[in-house]
Amino acid sequence: MKKFKFLILLSFGFLILNFAFSDEAFAMLTVKENHENIKIDFFYHGSTVSVSGEADSGTDLIIKITSPEGHQSLRKKGKVAGLLWMNVGELKFEHTPNLYFLHSTRNIDEILIEKEMDKYVIGYSALRRHTEINPVANENEKTEWFNEFVKFKESSRLYSTSYGKISTTVENGTLHYYINLNWPYQAPPGDYKVTVYEIEDKKIIEIAEAKVLVEQVSIVKILSYMSKNKGALYGVISIVIALAAGFGVGMIFRKSGGAH
Amino acid sequence: MFLYLPVALTSINIMIPVGLGLAVGLLSGLFGVGGGFLMTPLLIMLGISPTVAAATDSNQIVAASTSGTYAHWKMGNVDFKMGLYLLAGGFAGGLVGVQAIKVLRATGNADFVIKMTYVFMLGIVGIYMFIESLTSMKKKKTEEVKTEKESKMSKFLKSLPFQTHFEKSGVTNSLLVPVIFGGFVGILAAIMGVGGGFLMVPVMVYILRMPMHVVVGTSLFQILFNCIEVTFLQAYTNHNVDFILAVLLLLGSTVGAQVGAVFGRKLKGDQLKIILAVIVLTVTVKIIFELTLNPSLLLSQAGGH
Repeated sequence: MKKFKFLILLSFGFLILNFAFSDEAFAMLTVKENHENIKIDFFYHGSTVSVSGEADSGTDLIIKITSPEGHQSLRKKGKVAGLLWMNVGELKFEHTPNLYFLHSTRNIDEILIEKEMDKYVIGYSALRRHTEINPVANENEKTEWFNEFVKFKESSRLYSTSYGKISTTVENGTLHYYINLNWPYQAPPGDYKVTVYEIEDKKIIEIAEAKVLVEQVSIVKILSYMSKNKGALYGVISIVIALAAGFGVGMIFRKSGGAH
Repeated sequence: MFLYLPVALTSINIMIPVGLGLAVGLLSGLFGVGGGFLMTPLLIMLGISPTVAAATDSNQIVAASTSGTYAHWKMGNVDFKMGLYLLAGGFAGGLVGVQAIKVLRATGNADFVIKMTYVFMLGIVGIYMFIESLTSMKKKKTEEVKTEKESKMSKFLKSLPFQTHFEKSGVTNSLLVPVIFGGFVGILAAIMGVGGGFLMVPVMVYILRMPMHVVVGTSLFQILFNCIEVTFLQAYTNHNVDFILAVLLLLGSTVGAQVGAVFGRKLKGDQLKIILAVIVLTVTVKIIFELTLNPSLLLSQAGGH
């Protein structure tokens, strides 16, 4: 019985200690964003997402926002007969997110070692090493096409990196951070993950996560659903409306004496 | 004011597609072309993916060509009999062209063939129309050139079987002529991924010898049916038609087609031909620049041309 009581006390003690430590860890780094749910309605033209929280003073922070990793096929241009630029095939990019935003308090090369970057896929160099590109002949070619991939994504506003744009203030030994980001309308519906990394001595010491859900609503959702799941009906409606519009405008012009 | 496009997955200022629709609809009503060879690249430039741009453009051409056909029909400018034979040939040619493009894609030569077909067809049509209409504007010379050319051409055409009279166009031709040339345009249109109006118009003018105003109305009639078929197939198989974008485009294009039809009446056939030739040549030059100048991006979305 005594042994049993001792075990219960020990378990309790362990639980209290564990709770205390986990609470302390949670207090070190927190993250919240103002938009957990971005609704794409008829008049949607992008949004803004603010990420804020608290961390230990004296640490650096990296905020990463990504969509789930996946597979992307893109057409590549090349010179034919040494003169004409044309599509010369497709490149498959594996393990790449469609959206990748990275913002840090300082240049990531100054605050983080390469091993940590690779482990958490932080920065374009780490993402390049993480990505598989097919078909490419060698590492140099992979780097060239990865750079083109980033250029393409940045032109669509789906990839961006910056440093020094996170606002920080220290109060009572706690670092308060804040960044306001433009959320591009080009970002398709889906789940996006916001990850904040707390860094000390070039290593990640804490991670906090939050989610942003982007979803279509109202007429946008209905039309999107119809186009994917009721293709025949959607096609017929599109044609009938186009025919009606053509005839309608024709009749209006005829009545107004435009074309006889 | 911006609207979100549910299939293109992008947001657009409504004035842009309405304005584009108006401009391309104007060309459609004036020259009897669908305007796909202009509209699709413009939509791609606005950030619409190539597949959605091509499919949605077909949908708006249904509206523009309905509006244009209606206007020209009221003016007595549609030769339905000729239009149906061209349509039959075009439909068969389209099936052949789709198979040809499948084979080319499998061999990896599709893009080269498509781009070269564009440059050569647009270039030849544009230069020929430009020179011919410029020459025919100088009336005296025109008479001589026309009689000489007509005698050669009509000799061959009259030797073909199944001769029939096309009352509206005022020409007598073998049934085989519109069917075969319709088929030829259908093959090229399928390879190039366009409606083929800018190819069909010269065929009707120079080979079938139809009057320019009847050519415009009949071409629109034929384009209307082609685009109904393409819109349905794109919506059903590829799910690429953006209804909202199509509505914005057709708001402009239906009005533009009416205005074009009215303006067209005030211009002479040769004037219409020379303006169309200039537009076709401008597009050819643009494609040549695209092919030779260094592109800013070496990657693009898969799909479309």
